[in-house]
Amino acid sequence: MIKIKDLEKIYRTEEVETVALNKLTFNVNDGEFVAVMGPSGCGKSTLLNILGLLDDPDGGSFLFNGIEVAHFNERKRADLRKRNIGFVFQSFNLIDELTVFENVELPLIYLGVKGTERKERVEKVLDKMQIMHRRNHYPQQLSGGQQQRVAVARAVVNNPKLILADEPTGNLDSSNGNEVMQLLTELNEQGTTIIMVTHSEHDARYSHRIIRMLDGQTVTENILV
Amino acid sequence: MLRNYMKIAYRNLARNKIYSVINIAGLSIGLACAMLIILYVKDEVSYDRFHSNVHNIYRITRQELDKNGVKGTKDPNTGFLQGPRFAQNITDIKYYVRVQSGNVNMKQGAEVKDKDLLYVDSTFFEVFSFPLLSGNPVTCLNNPSSVVISEDEAKKQFGTKDAVGKIIQLKDDSVFVPHVVTAVAKKCPQNSSIKFDILLPFKESKEDASDNTNWFNFFLNTFVVLNPQANISAVESKMNQFYNGDSKDAIATLSAQFGDDVLNWNSIYSLQPMLSMHMSTDLPANNGLSDASNPIYSYILSGIALFILLIACINFINLTIARSVKRAKEIGIRKVIGGGRKQLIAQFMGESFLLCVIAFVLAIVFVQLFLPVFNTLANKTLALSYLFDVKLVGGYILLFLITALLAGFYPAMVLSGYKPVQTLYNRFHPGGKNYLQKSLVVFQFALASFLIIATFTVFQQFNFLTNEKLGYDDTDIVLVRKDFKSHDEAWLFKNELLKNPNIISVAPRNGGSWGTAAKLANDTTMQFDYETIDESFLPTLKIPLVKGRNFSPDFPSDSANSVLVNESFVKQAGWKDPIGQTLNFWYNNKKYSIIGVVKDYHFEPLNKMIRPQVFTMKKNNPYGQVFIKIKPNTAASNLSYIQNTFKQLFPLSPYSYVFMNDQNLKNYEAEAKWKQIMLFGAILTIFISCIGLFGLSVLSTEKRTKEIGIRKVLGASVQSVVTTLSKDFVKLVMISLILAIPAAWIAVTKWLQNYPYRISMNWWLFMSAGTLVILIALVTVIFQAIKAAVANPVKSLRSE
Repeated sequence: MIKIKDLEKIYRTEEVETVALNKLTFNVNDGEFVAVMGPSGCGKSTLLNILGLLDDPDGGSFLFNGIEVAHFNERKRADLRKRNIGFVFQSFNLIDELTVFENVELPLIYLGVKGTERKERVEKVLDKMQIMHRRNHYPQQLSGGQQQRVAVARAVVNNPKLILADEPTGNLDSSNGNEVMQLLTELNEQGTTIIMVTHSEHDARYSHRIIRMLDGQTVTENILV
Repeated sequence: MLRNYMKIAYRNLARNKIYSVINIAGLSIGLACAMLIILYVKDEVSYDRFHSNVHNIYRITRQELDKNGVKGTKDPNTGFLQGPRFAQNITDIKYYVRVQSGNVNMKQGAEVKDKDLLYVDSTFFEVFSFPLLSGNPVTCLNNPSSVVISEDEAKKQFGTKDAVGKIIQLKDDSVFVPHVVTAVAKKCPQNSSIKFDILLPFKESKEDASDNTNWFNFFLNTFVVLNPQANISAVESKMNQFYNGDSKDAIATLSAQFGDDVLNWNSIYSLQPMLSMHMSTDLPANNGLSDASNPIYSYILSGIALFILLIACINFINLTIARSVKRAKEIGIRKVIGGGRKQLIAQFMGESFLLCVIAFVLAIVFVQLFLPVFNTLANKTLALSYLFDVKLVGGYILLFLITALLAGFYPAMVLSGYKPVQTLYNRFHPGGKNYLQKSLVVFQFALASFLIIATFTVFQQFNFLTNEKLGYDDTDIVLVRKDFKSHDEAWLFKNELLKNPNIISVAPRNGGSWGTAAKLANDTTMQFDYETIDESFLPTLKIPLVKGRNFSPDFPSDSANSVLVNESFVKQAGWKDPIGQTLNFWYNNKKYSIIGVVKDYHFEPLNKMIRPQVFTMKKNNPYGQVFIKIKPNTAASNLSYIQNTFKQLFPLSPYSYVFMNDQNLKNYEAEAKWKQIMLFGAILTIFISCIGLFGLSVLSTEKRTKEIGIRKVLGASVQSVVTTLSKDFVKLVMISLILAIPAAWIAVTKWLQNYPYRISMNWWLFMSAGTLVILIALVTVIFQAIKAAVANPVKSLRSE
């Protein structure tokens, strides 16, 4: 599904140049669950942003399902993103002004799905995430674990092929964290490809393969399954 | 999608109450001002439009032309001849109608009332579209003893609108003559330059109509209706051609009598479209026509409304962008889950539209509430029913769209451009140095400061106008008007009044203002204001003489041979020794010698220059009013004494009185209104600017919470934190003052030039306006700054 080769990303300010990704190369296959680990500042989040088409690389190649997307313009990236990729963030990133239902519904609205179908699909996914009873609550009325389940629900509601998770358990206690990891595992078992950035060895063990990064490069790859 | 936008827009409004209130309050006030001004301007431009053939109605106007062909002052007035002669000789003129103002004593029950009226030709209702409730518009003014009255007048006189055939007694010379009501007219529209309650047929003797010297009398308004196909300039040149031929004999006759000066009395005739009359500054609707207006009022009002609306829009832009830090996360999320830039722009525009809709509805409520106040201020009778006019509704919708776009578009463009990678990872620092925000704040406060300085100036000038020494004493003087048949009749009244020990003196004078011209010994002609008084006039008003003597009963020939002049007259005549000089009055070719010089006094309001004045006691000149000086604090008893004396002596004349100082104050009613309008405008602009500044200071303080925490941990005092937070804003306000002061200086200097007597521009006026603006701004921001400075730093640092 994903093939990256010699991927580069350099952040420049007036005085400093920081190499975030240094000729990074790896592949992710359909249906895989990959964990990316490494110390702060090693380039994990940059990688995830490029994989999620939120940012563009400064060099190298990025094939998504066989299409070179490294130099897509913003409109094309947005279009590809909304049809194929779901995001889960450490800080949940729910919109405070919208209810649980409305947050989950939003990607479908942007996809142009009709109202009745939207309702059906949102309810189905809320049910699956066991958060249906909170559908009319606002994010700040929920616990961290509940918020992350809503975020996962939003990430999967349009049936993306790929889910990118950026430290999805970072703000959760261990039991809530386990629940979220369980959810991700189930999604993966149903065929969704997952790439997860994490600091937690415990969470990384849910994956099939761990890519360890340092200074913008992969250092090792551990295959777990 | 739309529902989703509106939902989130609504929730954002509800959640951020301060910003919503600031934005809605500002925008609704701004919109309400703009709506009121649109109403005002619409009314101004609608004047006289209701006449069905208004596009073919013109007023005959003239411009003075001297013997060298140099054009002089424009004059909207004409006389007996222009209407009928031009109409008879120029085929493109279909109708003419002369409109002359006048007043008449009318019997109403046992009382006699003084009524204003118009003398008009019988074509009046064919030229103008004033609907009649009853009566025949074509014939109602044919009979000299007919009268047309308004429905209001009919109700006053007869208690019913059904008045055709009834009799009204109107005084003609000294007897009451019955007039038959031949028609009752509907109340004149409020946007009409011609307003009447009583119309009488135009009075003209055969001699008047045939005397060619009447080409040189200008005392009424003549309107003509042209053929729709007529070429205006062709008609004008035919008018001048005819006039030049027809007036030749008269000029010869007059020249024989008065010399070559008569050649300076020529005119060039023009046609003024009726539609341009209401707001004309050089050819105003005067002499019996009403509501003459100056377009500058429309410009100033529109300017103020635009200022206020612009300032409110700036608040919206500034606050939305300042708040964007908080919304950056939402924008990032929307982009991550598939929202495109267009959709985000649509969303933010939707929010500004929703806000504008709320502000718009509120503005309509404000307009409803403040219309009466505005009407008083602007001297209008505007009604909200105007709002149902299609063009006006269109204008308001346009205003709404422009406001929503103006306020919403820029923030929408900025906000939708945020990169999700930055907003979602707290790497987001919007705005950089915020030059735009700063410039907008500077712009706002420059506008507000400009208006405040202007308001200060208007106040100062008004105080000057109302408190400046007039050169005479107008206190404790009661003014009673009456057209005395002779000087003896006036003196009879005077002597009766003087029997009361509380009445100090009584001085008769001519009614209204007179002017004429006379030839000096060196053959130059001078125009002047012409006062008919007696020897008690100057002492009663405490007007000093600078040379010579006053009129005196010891010199019985004074009334026949002597005149007084004022200092301006002497100055213009260029005399070193005025006493004994002679004036040769052009209208009777008789010489009068000057016996005294009166110190200049403001016989007209201070917005007019003191002109040359000549005082006479000539027996043929009638007195029209008396000035009665009473002892202080004796008004109540004196007023009834004066009234009783008047009624006893003149039972058939209407009685009314006014205190002279009250009447003088009335001269400045326009200035008083402008004073209030400017005050309102200034208060609103500074208020809206300040709520915007308040919002910005709240946001800026929030943004700097961490910085304040660190400063306090490092030992900063409350005072130094407050200074840090306030100084940036105060700096901006000071820059705005630097911009506003020169602009205001230019504007107010220009405005003051309208007044021959005016205040001098003072630095302290600008200083005090500037200090006021800075103080207001400081009070606005300091509240937030203190709140932030006294907060516990541990909290602010932890929350980071």
